[in-house]
Amino acid sequence: MNTTTIETKTALDGAVNPDVREAPLSSAQITDYDHRQTVGRITADNPKMACREVNVYYSEKHALRQVSLDIGANEVIAFIGPSGCGKSTFLRCLNRMNDTIVSCRITGHIQLDQDNIYDKSIDVVQLRARVGMVFQKPNPFPKSIYENVAYGPRIHGMINGKAELDELVYASLERAGLIKEVEKRMDEPGTSLSGGQQQRLCIARAIAVNPEVILMDEPCSALDPIATAKIEELIDELRENYTIVIVTHSMQQAARVSQRTAYFHLGDLIEVGETDQIFTNPRHKLTEDYITGRFG
Amino acid sequence: MPISHDAHTVKQFDAQLANLRNLVLEMGGLVEDQIKNAVKSLDDEDLTLAREVIARDQIINGLQVKIDEDTITLIATRQPVGSDLRLIMSLSKAVTDLERIGDEAEKIARMTIKTYDVVSSPPSAKLLRDVTPMAKLATDMLHGCLDALARVDVEMAVNVARGDDNLDQEFQSALRRLITYMMEDPRTIGHAISVLFIIKALERIGDHAKNIAEYIIYLVKGKDVRHVSMDTLEKDALAE
Amino acid sequence: MNKSDDSAATPPRRDIKALVNAGLKRRHAAERRFRWYGLTAISLGLAFVVLMFANIIGKGYPAFWQTYIELPITFDAAVIDPAGTRDPETLANADYAALIRASLRGLFPQVEGRRDLRALYGLISSNAPHRLRGEILADPALIGTTQVIQVLASAEVDTLVKGNINRALDESLRPISDQEIAWIDQLTADGRLTKRFNTILFSNGDSREPEQAGIRGALMGSFYTLLITFLLSFPIGVASAVYLEEFAPKNRWTDLIEVNINNLAAVPSIVFGLLGLAVFINFFGLPRSAPLVGGLVLSLMTLPVIIIAGRAALTSVPPSIREAALGMGASKLQMVSHHVLPLAMPGMLTGSIIGMARALGESAPLLMIGMVAFIVDVPRGFTDPATVLPVQIYLWADLPERAFVERTSAAIMVLLGFMILMNGLAIVLRKRFERRW
Repeated sequence: MNTTTIETKTALDGAVNPDVREAPLSSAQITDYDHRQTVGRITADNPKMACREVNVYYSEKHALRQVSLDIGANEVIAFIGPSGCGKSTFLRCLNRMNDTIVSCRITGHIQLDQDNIYDKSIDVVQLRARVGMVFQKPNPFPKSIYENVAYGPRIHGMINGKAELDELVYASLERAGLIKEVEKRMDEPGTSLSGGQQQRLCIARAIAVNPEVILMDEPCSALDPIATAKIEELIDELRENYTIVIVTHSMQQAARVSQRTAYFHLGDLIEVGETDQIFTNPRHKLTEDYITGRFG
Repeated sequence: MPISHDAHTVKQFDAQLANLRNLVLEMGGLVEDQIKNAVKSLDDEDLTLAREVIARDQIINGLQVKIDEDTITLIATRQPVGSDLRLIMSLSKAVTDLERIGDEAEKIARMTIKTYDVVSSPPSAKLLRDVTPMAKLATDMLHGCLDALARVDVEMAVNVARGDDNLDQEFQSALRRLITYMMEDPRTIGHAISVLFIIKALERIGDHAKNIAEYIIYLVKGKDVRHVSMDTLEKDALAE
Repeated sequence: MNKSDDSAATPPRRDIKALVNAGLKRRHAAERRFRWYGLTAISLGLAFVVLMFANIIGKGYPAFWQTYIELPITFDAAVIDPAGTRDPETLANADYAALIRASLRGLFPQVEGRRDLRALYGLISSNAPHRLRGEILADPALIGTTQVIQVLASAEVDTLVKGNINRALDESLRPISDQEIAWIDQLTADGRLTKRFNTILFSNGDSREPEQAGIRGALMGSFYTLLITFLLSFPIGVASAVYLEEFAPKNRWTDLIEVNINNLAAVPSIVFGLLGLAVFINFFGLPRSAPLVGGLVLSLMTLPVIIIAGRAALTSVPPSIREAALGMGASKLQMVSHHVLPLAMPGMLTGSIIGMARALGESAPLLMIGMVAFIVDVPRGFTDPATVLPVQIYLWADLPERAFVERTSAAIMVLLGFMILMNGLAIVLRKRFERRW
């Protein structure tokens, strides 16, 4: 088990002096960490990312309140909850996609391995190379299939020469389980593929830069059940090499693909736990009401 | 944690769940009658009633099949999770136990017929002495667990589970007494064995009732309390 | 929970079918009426367009044909090159008009008297001697021979031949006398009048003589002006649009800028002309009447249009593409230059071309900076005095000669042709590069 150092209560909105850091807590303290609201164990045995007291504000709206959660290495963690509960907001904090929203303000502490991702020394470009993202609507670039996958390695200068790039593109498509379908049509536009293939192309594009964490924001909501099943199978395979965070509206999907599940409600992280526990015996009434379809 | 009593967004799901529960409770009521009638037929030496009990077991079997079908439909169409899943699984398992209890009642009725339908002399009253109190304990347990199921009441379920120890002790002492009688007077062996089957059936009814009580605890608390000591069971069931 | 409330609120069922049928007739009538209004409006509009085109084309079409008179010209060595040196200078300065005069006298030996002779010589355009000089300079061997040469007829002859002069009018009311008509009729009868395609219209600059006036000067002026306009307004417009849309923080200042850009697009164009006069000519001392200044002024006018069109094109790029790029770790500039800009470019180009087409048709601001002068020479650069097509049209429309009326219409046709071409190009570009996502 990794002993992780996590600082808590560090304001992050740029006002932090990186030289003045609070002493790291011992791992015992981390395990004992108990939030006033969240039910269940927020820590992971082998955390890849650690979030503490994350708050997100959109202008005046407090969109996410005091969320603390670890994301374990090589686990699939699912975020579920009704619309507007903050799960996507939280997901987007993990690779700072919220930075693009002007009115968005974030406080708290999010750590990827040993790096505070909101630290000034962390460039967001570098962060996003380490934390890839797959979106709700398949959004391949309107370029060829090859170019779609090659784009990330190219902009990050990860390859030397055409042969190496070819190899990387093929390997990524292979890992995304798409190679057989697109081998003969690498020059066709990515948008000519079917929805499910497009989404797998987006996954191939994301893994081409070899990220440590992949964030998936409702990756199957626009897909039919067969395409969904293929993506779910893919997620299961990718777990060996990547840490995956998935936001989903389908509880069956969360139950099928994830090892841990976190339930968000109106900006609060209500409950987090092993997926089988959440779906058979949730401990919080809100979780129970949501998963059994008793909402509102 | 607590069972939610709010309505589902899909009202039909609520109706289906309620329907399933009512069917199980109806089956429980029938089974309860069966035991009472079987024991009554033994007490009253009423062979007609005993035959009736045997015939009515078919109704219970039919109910079990119907409930199983409904359960499968519910699982296939609603993919229940959380307390819904626990409720459906508990009911489904309770049905199996109820059906077995029904079989035990039938067994008692058959023993009644076997005991009184012969030309030889009826068994002496002292052989049958233990049957009535044990039957009372068993029916009380069954009644208690059905009540607990109807009200989703953990405390009642715990009481039922506790009652099983009593019944087991009763069975042990009754068994010892029967053995004593058989050693004293080997002519009683035939009847004693019949009585042994009957009290064994009553003891089994207690076990099944305890099972149902355990399902109720699982339904409410989400904890599996099968095959644990009574102390653990109580601690898990009554913990907040 | 409130399901019961809903059902309680349901109104009692009535015969919906009968109710709907009752109102159906009225609804259909209203629909028919509305369709009729629309059709009328569109037909009216179309009728006016057809009328305008018919008028312009009807008037302007003859301008593309020009009357020439075939004259047997004797290239008399005594007139052209008495010394026989074949010196180009001598050849260039020879009195070619005398050759024409001699030829006309030969054709009409009965004409006498200076006044009549002058009228006879007037049938031929004053540019005819240049034509003869051109022939001789090209081929001096012609000297001493007699050739049948087609020389340009004067505007009056052309107008008469095209039937634009009413012969029935009293002599004093027409620009051409009975005698001249008689000569022209004789020339026609002799088969000496020919109509040829009017290349002068496209090769000459402006002139006081209608038959020699062309739009080349104006076309080149328009070309240089628009080139400046495009070179300035497109890059600046695209850069501004990209900055405002993708990079600028959204605050009170950018809001102010946005409002002002939208207002600028609505500012009357003559105001830009005044601004150009004050700033470019009076303050910076740039030459008057120059395409450079015209281009600068039109750039100012076109910029808001391009910026607005550019921003619209940028906003129409789906946010999912931006997210995809950012999610891959592209920087903002990479996102814009690799993905957003290529997708927005067709829209931006379309907007720019339409803006340029507007600039092409603009005359008011150019009047203010002196591009309204009478300029005979075809401009050869950005600082030569020049005029532009719409201004040329405006100038010609002012002139009284009948021959200028048809030239005005012809110039309008050329202008409209370029406009249609540019708009067509915009459509082609849009269709061609429009991508689906």
